[in-house]
Amino acid sequence: MSATGIGAAVRRKEDQRFITGTGNYTSDISRPGEVRAYFVRSPHAHATIKKVDTKAAEKMPGVVAVLTGADLAGDKIGGLICGWAVSSKDGSPMKAGAHPAIAVDKVRCVGDQVALVLAETLGQARDAAEKVKVEYGVLPSVVDPAKTQASGAPQIHDVAPNNTIYDWHLGDKAATDAAFASAKHVTKLDIVNNRLVPNAMEPRAAIAEYDQGNDSLTLWNTSQNPHVARLVISAFIGMAPEHKLRVIAPDVGGGFGSKIFIYPEEVVALWACAAREAAGEMGLGPFGGLSHRCAWPRSRHACGACDRRQP
Amino acid sequence: MATVNITVNGKSHSVDVSPETLLVELIREKLRLTGTHVGCDTSQCGACVVHVDSAAVKSCTMLAVSADGAKVTTIEGLASGAGLHPMQAAFREHHGLQCGFCTPGMIMSAVDMVNRKGNELDERTIREELEGNICRCTGYHNIVKAVGAGARAMKGGGKTARAAE
Ligand code: FES
Ligand code: FES
Repeated sequence: MSATGIGAAVRRKEDQRFITGTGNYTSDISRPGEVRAYFVRSPHAHATIKKVDTKAAEKMPGVVAVLTGADLAGDKIGGLICGWAVSSKDGSPMKAGAHPAIAVDKVRCVGDQVALVLAETLGQARDAAEKVKVEYGVLPSVVDPAKTQASGAPQIHDVAPNNTIYDWHLGDKAATDAAFASAKHVTKLDIVNNRLVPNAMEPRAAIAEYDQGNDSLTLWNTSQNPHVARLVISAFIGMAPEHKLRVIAPDVGGGFGSKIFIYPEEVVALWACAAREAAGEMGLGPFGGLSHRCAWPRSRHACGACDRRQP
Repeated sequence: MATVNITVNGKSHSVDVSPETLLVELIREKLRLTGTHVGCDTSQCGACVVHVDSAAVKSCTMLAVSADGAKVTTIEGLASGAGLHPMQAAFREHHGLQCGFCTPGMIMSAVDMVNRKGNELDERTIREELEGNICRCTGYHNIVKAVGAGARAMKGGGKTARAAE
């Protein structure tokens, strides 16, 4: 065993900063003039959104803006995509329902984003979020995966009858049937996949910044693959052309796959920056005269709630 | 607004905070010492552990105003001088970390453990004492090894590492 070759211990370069508290995780980043974002989330698993009244919240101290799904849709920001399309056995494409980054007329899980509050401090944003009045029409829900396809189960997405997105088959059915038919003994069992909860120690976070000089956006986020994030947020969600969008993943506090996905909060943080910029140029009320940076700090609750939306 | 007079890593500060501000928010956002992490803010994960008047405290669970007059040590102030504290060195030596997010809290809890329980810590004690610190990357095995080795390495000089307080 040589001192430097095969068999020698290799010291990790990143350990020095991690053990001295000088790492640089997304929530550690602070940009001049940033405002803080807090999401109003659905307490219902399934409900129509009848009305979102933001007036009282807008008057709360420190509040910069309160944005809703209607604002997002008005700016033609696309919904989140599923990165892996699966066709049914008959060849028909999968029936993925729309997934707007802020819900528009319906919420489909507890924790679905309904509105965004931007304020000078996180405490102010949180206080103001309590003043956002959302009128829901609560619909029946189904929380047991085994019951989602039962007749009469509430349908979550209009495009997916029976709550079936795809019916996927793999392999040679005839040969498999023949093998079972000639088997001496056949055991039947139901295999239930447990729910996966990656639950990294670092909750998700995002900070977005608009650079007036270059007319470009930068997103720092807790990402395992910033390149794909940039592609998706640009080409599919339509936030900005790829050369006008930079995605930076600083130190990441664990991901276990959960930080591969593109999440609504990241999209909304970018959009909120851009929206504030646009409104500032037009001289609109609360946006004018402020710099355009939007930070959505970690929230374990939000993390858990959003994990439910993973494909 | 309330004024909090607080000594952090040997440096005194007078900070204006709103009454609901948590100690961890004061440390991270007002003093910009971001080595102390927030993994849950509900007192479960231990990523936010600091020493307040020589005792390990989850700083997400203490109001900043309650720390008025206190002496606080964070991960940034653990080592005296430019080198590493023996517990920090042990974590690196024994590969007691991967993503590093839990690490500052782990190290602060470990040093507190040695201060209370001495330098000879058996595996069972270490595992029990780390009940309030969650790590999702390592599986704990190397953290336990690191704490045991760090505890022994602190012999004789451990408490002086807290001179900053
Ligand atoms: S952040 Fe304090 S215990 Fe998790
Ligand atoms: S090293 Fe990643 S959570 Fe402990």
